[in-house]
Amino acid sequence: MTYQVILVEDDPTMLDDMIATLKNSTEFNLEATFKNVQDAVGQSSVFQPNLFLVNVDNPETLNNIPIFVDIFPDAKILGLVSNWNADIAMNVIATGALGCILKPFTKQDILDAIHLYTERGKPGLSRIISFFSPKGRAGRTTAAALMAQVIAEESDERVALIDADLQFGDLPIFFDIEPKQTIVEATQDIKLLNPLNLKPYFYRLSHHLYLLSSPDRPEYAELVDVDSLADVVRLTCNLFRYVLIDLPAGFNPVSVAMSQLSDTVVIMAMINNGFEIQHMKKALEVSKSMEVSGDKRIYPVFTRVNPCTEEERLKIEEKLGYHVSDILPNEYRMISLANSGRLGKSLPKDSLLMKNLRKIAEGIITGER
Amino acid sequence: MAEERSSIIISIFSTTPGIGKTVTAINLSAGLAKEGYKVCLVDLDLQFGDVLNYLKLSSKQSIATAQRAMQIDADSFEVKDFLITYEHEDLTFAVMPPPFYLYDAYQANVARIENIVKQLTYFDFVVLDLNSAFSALNLAMLDISTIINFIGVIDFLPALKNFKIGYDTLIRFNYEESKIRLVENRADSQKLIESHDVERLIGETFYHRLPNDFPAAIKSINQGLPLMFCAPDSKLTKSFWELTGKYTNRKLQTDTQLQGVQTAGIGFFSRILAFLFGKR
Repeated sequence: MTYQVILVEDDPTMLDDMIATLKNSTEFNLEATFKNVQDAVGQSSVFQPNLFLVNVDNPETLNNIPIFVDIFPDAKILGLVSNWNADIAMNVIATGALGCILKPFTKQDILDAIHLYTERGKPGLSRIISFFSPKGRAGRTTAAALMAQVIAEESDERVALIDADLQFGDLPIFFDIEPKQTIVEATQDIKLLNPLNLKPYFYRLSHHLYLLSSPDRPEYAELVDVDSLADVVRLTCNLFRYVLIDLPAGFNPVSVAMSQLSDTVVIMAMINNGFEIQHMKKALEVSKSMEVSGDKRIYPVFTRVNPCTEEERLKIEEKLGYHVSDILPNEYRMISLANSGRLGKSLPKDSLLMKNLRKIAEGIITGER
Repeated sequence: MAEERSSIIISIFSTTPGIGKTVTAINLSAGLAKEGYKVCLVDLDLQFGDVLNYLKLSSKQSIATAQRAMQIDADSFEVKDFLITYEHEDLTFAVMPPPFYLYDAYQANVARIENIVKQLTYFDFVVLDLNSAFSALNLAMLDISTIINFIGVIDFLPALKNFKIGYDTLIRFNYEESKIRLVENRADSQKLIESHDVERLIGETFYHRLPNDFPAAIKSINQGLPLMFCAPDSKLTKSFWELTGKYTNRKLQTDTQLQGVQTAGIGFFSRILAFLFGKR
């Protein structure tokens, strides 16, 4: 297809460069160029653009992107940045644009970016969902892995699973893979990364599902800088519509930073001897006091609830003194699946566990959760 | 004032959470106390410690209040002021409670905690209930431990991976092999991974195997009693008693009443395995 392009760039030299790049190409038809965003907003409608390339180094231009989205709902919008910056990239996505590319660019850069960002899924901010548990062995990793698969299947959008349980991450073994790149490499290279070169750090598990693995030795966890990890997660949002993060147990710099970055935190505890409810309470109180923005969604989930009934949920809720969003039953078949690394292949779809997880996943896809 | 004699410090460590560290720590402490030793159990799962829960104890003092007191006035600090006592029938041992608030857990200072633990030298045994990570605190505690009781439930693959990685890491961190005692919990429960395969993979035999008696363990937790009181006939109770005996060398003094249990595994068998499977 040929893109009908409108270019918004205030630097005349840069603009000339870009015009030269786009000219004489079969893929791009340069319809118009504008030096400022007001002109572009006012005048673009006489053309029939389906691709906007907009300099977003200028904050005013950035603020006007929603207007383009509004007037040209079917057009693709790429933000142009001189330096890669995760914050600006997030802001650009939040406006409804596809994402950012570095300028100057080649024709291929634009095509690659469009391809990559379109595969991500619907425009708009990514959902970042953290899986936290006070003490561990709560079914956290299993739930994160299964939810990621369900979301990838049902939404038909890109899903990233990040194994941030840095010392003892189990996700690679759940899927029976040995990735060459891990979170260590991604965080160490972060300064050099942009969405176009981030993807190889992820291991493709299925059509839409990708994994960023934990380090393969516990001591390598020391090599992962928390701020860099936060940058990796934000960069990941440019490629993935959903980012699910499996956290280490308890409150530590990694779990706290990742929870703060997330819009949703699933706090999991396994019913075992009853004291888990106290731990959950403690964790909820701290999570609430830690909230950076008031609208973070926190879902307390209990696993291995038997019988897994509404009545039992209410009982736990009463003991906890907080809303219990979901309860999950034990599923013995899951153990043998995880054991054989077949978690990615043959889920017992008919089970109550999957049914309840599906409910949560669907709520996340529709935005109800 | 430094006494030359020091305590035997046994740390209960694992790399998978929720596999029975606290139950082991409590029953080992109870066993040691039963043999007549002065014992202090320190709950170092600072965020979500369960020792008080499992023993139905409450306390105004904790390792956090101890740390604060030490910070304010190190000279007049007396560790005994921050301990509580567990008592049942003729059994008694001391407990150092974990912080009550997560905030305090976050303020934990490794050097001070190490200092506090080192002041427990008037006990014969100090049992440290750690949590499941290679944290600065845990490494400091493993450093000062006489014995690392490295425990695992190896019932599924991630657990096996974490047990092996944990053991390999301990070795890489230069802990002496003789100091690390591998203990398998729920060793006889139905599972897909056989103990001898685990040993083959690790290249070391289990020092002790604790059998599975989930009902007894739950009963013990619910009643707040060590197993010897609430489930005296359980095979798990007996096995804890045997483990205690291994740490006190009881069999040297009494007799060889432990039968059918493989004793210390650092020897012929592991060397053969090492030869066959090329350990490390």
